[in-house]
Amino acid sequence: MTQWPLGSPLVGGHGSGVAQILGCVDPLAPLRSVGERLAPPMEALAQSIAERVVGLVVGAIDVNAVLDEVDLNAVLDRVDINELLAHMDLDAILNRIDVDALLDHVDINSLLARVDVDGLLEQVDVNRLAARLDLNQLMGTVDITAIVTRVDVNQIVQAVDVDGVIRKVDIDAVVDRVDVNEIVQRVDVEALVEQTDLGSVIASSTSGIAGDMLDAVRSRTVGVDESIARLVGRVLRRPYTGPPGPPAGLRATARS
Amino acid sequence: MTSRAGEAKPFHPPAAARESLQGHYAGFASRFASFVVDLIVLTGIFMLVLAAINFAASVITGKDIAFNRGNLWVVIAYLVWGFIYFAHFWGLNGRTAGGAMFGVQVLTDDGADVSLRRAALRTLVFPLSFLILGLGFLGILLGDQRRALHDVIAGTVVVYSWDARAARLRFLSRESSPGADRPAPPALPGRPASPG
Repeated sequence: MTQWPLGSPLVGGHGSGVAQILGCVDPLAPLRSVGERLAPPMEALAQSIAERVVGLVVGAIDVNAVLDEVDLNAVLDRVDINELLAHMDLDAILNRIDVDALLDHVDINSLLARVDVDGLLEQVDVNRLAARLDLNQLMGTVDITAIVTRVDVNQIVQAVDVDGVIRKVDIDAVVDRVDVNEIVQRVDVEALVEQTDLGSVIASSTSGIAGDMLDAVRSRTVGVDESIARLVGRVLRRPYTGPPGPPAGLRATARS
Repeated sequence: MTSRAGEAKPFHPPAAARESLQGHYAGFASRFASFVVDLIVLTGIFMLVLAAINFAASVITGKDIAFNRGNLWVVIAYLVWGFIYFAHFWGLNGRTAGGAMFGVQVLTDDGADVSLRRAALRTLVFPLSFLILGLGFLGILLGDQRRALHDVIAGTVVVYSWDARAARLRFLSRESSPGADRPAPPALPGRPASPG
């Protein structure tokens, strides 16, 4: 409420009762009351006018032309992507994405066809990549059997140029590394002769009855030699380990 | 076995034939049997020659020549023939007829072929082993190289020249062949022939 000063004509000379009455009267109250009654319809009117104006303006604006005028790069430069991403719940977004459906729409072959694999690989430091791989762990997760069963070995073999591979092999170097004597020692020649046609070949290529008799006579005599040598060894308490020899010269010849 | 030209072959036993007797010192029985065969052969030839001479003399002169062991010339001729026989064959290839039959060969003590000179020396000193009551042969039984007295003097050894393992393989090959006869398998060192 407005407080009138005591020097005012409305206060001085007419006594304090008038001043008290006037002190209770607000001359602007009627105006304020009118304003309060007019405000809502005016706001509605203004809003409808504004919507109309905006509609007209928007209809008149060529958005493409406006966008052409916008320097998107400059806009993007001003955007702090990291801060933006920090406010985003990416997990929630990803959970809402049906990746399978997404991949169904992707033509992987077409995509791969557009990829310059050679160029990509040239940029890859394979050694560094391999150094970071835990191959043991990786192989532990691989079902080798399943992979092998899916491999068409025949097809692979047919695709291999065996002649070309063999041409590249240094047979001499390979043979040099093979200890033929060691291999021959592991061959059971007697079993080979007994169980294969090799015996027939030998039999047909060697001497006949006379040779057999000679072998038999010699073997008998050698048996007697061995018996005598064992007897002598027993008498002399000297272990017998077979016929001694050969002479040093023959040993040298045999080694050459 | 030896490096002599012609029949001789270098001694290259394959690793698989390590059980072969070839090149090992021959034992008493083989050497004795070989000597017996040689005596039979050289005596037989000598008697054939004497018979031929007797026949020729009877044809020419009409009289028989009485050859007997009491005749000094016959004994001398026999000893000379024996010397020629042994010295020739030992110097030729180290094998006499008996040696060839029983697969033994005379070599020098370092494994080389015997020269004619050494063969002659060996033949000359050979009787020494008999003349000392056969004690000269004890070395065959007791010595590491199975050498008799005449071997030591002449610097020779006697070795097996046949391949026992090859003989055994031949036997096995006949055994594996259909319808083959089955004589006793040849013996190998440490694997004597089965009896029977």
